[in-house]
Amino acid sequence: MIRYLLLIPVLTAIFCILARTENQIKTLGLVGSTATMIVGLTIVIDVFRHGTITSWENMLFADAFSAYLILIISLVGFVISVYSMGYMDHEIKHDVIDLKRLKIYYVFYHLGMFSMLLVGVANDLGLWIAIEMTTLFSAPLIVIYTKRSSIEAAWKYLIICSVGITLALFGTILTYYAAVQVLGEGADALSWTNLIGVADQFDPTLMKIAFVFIIVGYGTKAGFTPMHTWLPDAYSEAPAPGTALLSGVLINCAMYGIIRFHTITAKAVGPEFSSNLLIMFGLLSLGIATPFIIMQSDYKRLFAYSSVEHMGIVALGFGFGGPLGTFGALLHMFNHAVTKSFMFFVAGNIRQKYGTKKIDSVTGVVKSMRYTGPMLVLGGLAITGSPPFSIFISEITILTAGLMQAHIIPTALAIMFMIMIFAGFFNHINKMALSTPPEGVTVGDASKWSLGAMIILMVFIVVLGVYIPSQLYEMIMKAVDVVNATGM
Amino acid sequence: MSEFDIGSGLMQALIAMILVSTFMLLGSKRLYTSVRAFGFQSLLLAFIAAVVAYSTGRSEIYIVALLTLILKAVIIPYIFIKISRDLGVKREIELYVNISPSLLIGGLLVVISHNLAQAISVNTQLSNYALSVSMSMLFIGLFVMISRKKALTQMLGILVMENGLFLGAISLTYGMPLIVEIGIFFDALVAILIMGIMVFRINKTFETVDTAALDTLIG
Repeated sequence: MIRYLLLIPVLTAIFCILARTENQIKTLGLVGSTATMIVGLTIVIDVFRHGTITSWENMLFADAFSAYLILIISLVGFVISVYSMGYMDHEIKHDVIDLKRLKIYYVFYHLGMFSMLLVGVANDLGLWIAIEMTTLFSAPLIVIYTKRSSIEAAWKYLIICSVGITLALFGTILTYYAAVQVLGEGADALSWTNLIGVADQFDPTLMKIAFVFIIVGYGTKAGFTPMHTWLPDAYSEAPAPGTALLSGVLINCAMYGIIRFHTITAKAVGPEFSSNLLIMFGLLSLGIATPFIIMQSDYKRLFAYSSVEHMGIVALGFGFGGPLGTFGALLHMFNHAVTKSFMFFVAGNIRQKYGTKKIDSVTGVVKSMRYTGPMLVLGGLAITGSPPFSIFISEITILTAGLMQAHIIPTALAIMFMIMIFAGFFNHINKMALSTPPEGVTVGDASKWSLGAMIILMVFIVVLGVYIPSQLYEMIMKAVDVVNATGM
Repeated sequence: MSEFDIGSGLMQALIAMILVSTFMLLGSKRLYTSVRAFGFQSLLLAFIAAVVAYSTGRSEIYIVALLTLILKAVIIPYIFIKISRDLGVKREIELYVNISPSLLIGGLLVVISHNLAQAISVNTQLSNYALSVSMSMLFIGLFVMISRKKALTQMLGILVMENGLFLGAISLTYGMPLIVEIGIFFDALVAILIMGIMVFRINKTFETVDTAALDTLIG
């Protein structure tokens, strides 16, 4: 099953290369991502019912944590491909991109899906290869619009993330060395299950240094401050569905990598070391994101800095730890993926309508766009963590965990930053949503495909805000067991 | 003398030469010299892999040695030379930090890495200095990246970092499992190709490969 999960996106990418017309490419893309989602969900259900599954001589595997990541990737990935139908149609019609660019978009979209799913199912330190691949395959998505600024963004992205990922490889090698000391040579030494089993015998100093390299390395991709500098550039330059893929899905893959090593390190040197590092990076990201959100003049960059903020919150959740903190962090990963993709869809609709990314030039979205306007307001409320939307629930869970684990000062600081971000963020949303649209902007909304994709996400945002289905709850609890290495 | 002792003696010499090649790269003001230094370094790495394979009797490491030789000592330098010829890049490297301070900083980084490596107290059988040199290359590569203006030399910095990692992996653990190793090689090659394409794009759009021109996205 896992093999099909990886095969489908690659095949889709190959077919997209061969396709000749726009319609063929778009249909193939949609069919491919639907198939990916179906297989992905099948695996998720399989893992949920029968526990860990492995494939291809243990090289690939899926436990509850990977299944949870696969759930996020395949679900959000599917919705993004629905949105792409409408978005790319508009770009083609208005001659913003040509057939060649469309092809590049779809090919690398699916290769990106492949690499991200590989992150989820790689059963060893080969995880590094998958994360490096996500960088390489997502970089072309940033240069779909061949402007000076997007080339600059893509170059920064490639260079900064390559350096980060190289540092992470060093951490990986050190971890492997620590494992080899205990387990002896051979590929078996690398599987997650084996590593967790013997992690308490690892050399503590070695693991500490390894984790520092890992958190700085993968943290670069997860958008931790101060390594986040590529993130707003890349997010603002990529086309909206590409940004949704980067911010909603890809960023979680890097987080997943950090947390895998967090589990091992916590077992090798005790939980304080890696937890404190996570809390530190979490707070730093929150703190640095705050002024940039308040002073922002470009709405795509605004949402990008909000991703920095939310990854900081996820890191805080994992750092606070315990069942509650980890639960909150995992839930927040899902909620952020859904809500942030939604926000970038909104951003995409607005940019196509107004033709600018400047907050000051966008006014009266509620009047000019009958559906996107209210969605901008609702999404703005949801992403800043107001009740009754899903992010509110996970943020409250994380903050409660912080208080329960007696991390009073970090929690207080986090609350302060969140309130400041709420005020700053909503100030911008107000400006964009209300008053009258500038002259020359006609009334009319995005295509049905785009709005349909947004409605799917809206359902998740609203429903998870008031009620968590028991299946999802149990699913996350199983992932919590994996992350905290309890119940094994 | 056993195979292990011979290997150990050879390793010390090779690792010292790798450090020298890193400084050759750091101290050169010409692009071709830098690329040649990198090729030379990769050649030495391939030798090291072969020595490790010989003295531990693990034949799959010979494959890693061969891959290093073909990919890093031949193909990647070739790609570099080709890109710089096609673009007509100026031979002279432009720097933010001049050569003599660069070399001093390089020396400082080696000292720091050596102390850091001592702190880990890793017991490497084949060479005591592998980890120190590996870390030095990591940091020097990073320094090359931030102190050079041209996109091509920044790529070279990443490659030096990667070579450093390779040295660490091969001498600490006798390499990662083969499949992981091959994956890493594949990634390195794709990275160079994609970055190469990007360099062409930068050149086409900005009419320079000077990354100092990429300065519009701030805040």
